[in-house]
Amino acid sequence: MSFGGVRHFTFVYEANTSAAGSLELEDWVTWQRGTGSGRFDQVDFRHELEYGVTDSLQASVYLADWLYQSDREHSGFAYSDTAIELIYNLTNPVVDPVGLSVYGELKAGDQLIELESKLIAQKNLGPLILAYNATLESVWEGHDLDEREGEFSQALGVSYEISPRVSVGLELLHEFVFPEWRDEGKIRNFFIGPNISYRRQNWFVTLTALSQATNTEDEADFQLRTIFGIAL
Amino acid sequence: MVAIICFVDLSSCGTTFAPPPVTPELVRAGSGQYPNIAMLREGRALFVHRCIECHTLPAFWRYSTEDWPKIVDSMSHRANLKPSERDAVVAYILAVRAQQAF
Repeated sequence: MSFGGVRHFTFVYEANTSAAGSLELEDWVTWQRGTGSGRFDQVDFRHELEYGVTDSLQASVYLADWLYQSDREHSGFAYSDTAIELIYNLTNPVVDPVGLSVYGELKAGDQLIELESKLIAQKNLGPLILAYNATLESVWEGHDLDEREGEFSQALGVSYEISPRVSVGLELLHEFVFPEWRDEGKIRNFFIGPNISYRRQNWFVTLTALSQATNTEDEADFQLRTIFGIAL
Repeated sequence: MVAIICFVDLSSCGTTFAPPPVTPELVRAGSGQYPNIAMLREGRALFVHRCIECHTLPAFWRYSTEDWPKIVDSMSHRANLKPSERDAVVAYILAVRAQQAF
């Protein structure tokens, strides 16, 4: 099998999809730290299989999302969910004015159902990649799935290829959170930070460190995400 | 300041990042070595779709005529290119190099 493709970002998706027939395993690790009164550490793990159905359609399965959480009251591991994801590429980021893709994801767990849709835009200008995502999420969680939350987020990424194997860049994440689909709390989170991507013959690793520029109490102040991908 | 203006309006600086389209002139530039226009079109389509899955597209002048076939070959498995598709990508790159007289 061939390679699914390299990620230049970890929080921002790119518009290009995997070649037909390619299969890749990606392992994600995201560490979040909150330092306010509700101080916590959380490490999320994801194991994803990515397959190129056609040159324009890519399908992924999140075999397992699980986490380790530690706060003042308790700590331990927990299974979170399993998910499927589809990305359909509409236009090319090199030859078309803007590369566009649409994204859909269904996530289901013990106490979680989540629907996520995304519009992905990208432009490649020589060694520079500009990518933008607009994402809408609907979440139902809790024992009877009776807690609802909506979220709209924007993500922007810039990556510059400094050598055939290394790219460096910046990622920005802007979240609008709507508990119970209401905007009474006016919850807005803004994260920004650098990234680096390194690739070899059949694998890559990408790392992003984000810091919260807003002051939302229950949100992570710092996030570190790495994605390691290897061709199968 | 010039760099900022160029970034905002790249076309005004005469900079184009998209690989050139396949034209009869491009075919002729290959000195008859790559006379098949369909092959060159396939090569361009694969070049702009498959190669960007891993990296941005390098400038045609970055590597020599002798080096390009080896470079594309070394990555053809990763890009899921069949031998005929790999040859089409190489043919397109070399035709552009010939047209731009590197």
